[in-house]
Amino acid sequence: MGEIELKTAPADFRFPTTNQSRHCFTRYIEFHRCVAAKGDEATECEKFAKYYRSLCPGEWVDRWNEQRENGIFPGPL
Amino acid sequence: MIESQRHSYHLVDPSPWPISGSLGALATTVGGVMYMHPFQGGATLLSLGLIFLLYTMFVWWRDVLRESTLEGHHTKVVQLGPRYGFILFIVSEVMFLFALFWASSHSSLAPTVEIGGIWPPKGIGVLDPREIPFLNTLILPSSGAAVTWAHHAILAGKEKRAVYALVATVSLALVFTGFQGMEYYQAPSTISDSIYGSTFFLATGFHGFHVIIGTLFLIVCGIRQYLGHLTKEHHVGFEAAAWYWHFVDVVRLFPFVSIYWWGGI
Repeated sequence: MGEIELKTAPADFRFPTTNQSRHCFTRYIEFHRCVAAKGDEATECEKFAKYYRSLCPGEWVDRWNEQRENGIFPGPL
Repeated sequence: MIESQRHSYHLVDPSPWPISGSLGALATTVGGVMYMHPFQGGATLLSLGLIFLLYTMFVWWRDVLRESTLEGHHTKVVQLGPRYGFILFIVSEVMFLFALFWASSHSSLAPTVEIGGIWPPKGIGVLDPREIPFLNTLILPSSGAAVTWAHHAILAGKEKRAVYALVATVSLALVFTGFQGMEYYQAPSTISDSIYGSTFFLATGFHGFHVIIGTLFLIVCGIRQYLGHLTKEHHVGFEAAAWYWHFVDVVRLFPFVSIYWWGGI
């Protein structure tokens, strides 16, 4: 049986407290800004994607994706 | 009358105004709640309550003026009561506005994820602080200077000059209120526009309400000065109005810096 590698987003000194909501939100924004700057297929953006997927509740990601599609996402993309 | 009592305190005559004020306050609060919920007659009760409260204020203070200026009951030691009382009242108002500015800072210094983590929130139209807000922030302290001028005139016994100074103070105050009202009318956002609108309009709105009350107080002082009620040794009512005015004036600086200027960037 092979070793299963488990990883999550690294500790970010910008978000030292227990509540990591802003960390999740920031990684989500960083991923989309990276994609906007470097294109959809850029590999540099993959790590941001992994971070936000580890940190954020699925419902939040779904809601934000829907908001982006409808042009009502409130964040600074 | 005062010569026949062997102390310098004021034992007031029985008066119906405290109870009528309480009834007015009761009608106002109950009517207000009814108005904001689906009950019939709320608006009527609210307006009746407010009118009754205003009437009580008018007659109560008229009686105070009669007892003090006309009947001479307000000796130096009696004057301490209204002086300290009014200072404490201003302290309570400071607490109230402090709470509103705390709310504003709470929302704006660390904006939540739900509004995108930015301030002002996306899509909110903000007013340029360098236009009318800045002008108003200059007008109010100018009227504060005018009220100080009026005070000096009263202390120097220059009665006519004091009236002119009070007219200047009130005119500047009315200009301020006029500009502020115009800005509200033309503002790009409303109180319902997210937490920005709520905190902006509550903080600036209550400040504006206090400006209007202060202006009314100063108008009354102006009328009394014109009628010769105020002397250079005894003008507690005027001093109270001036303190209130300076409080309103200083408070204006806080929303200007934190809400208009910092909050709009």
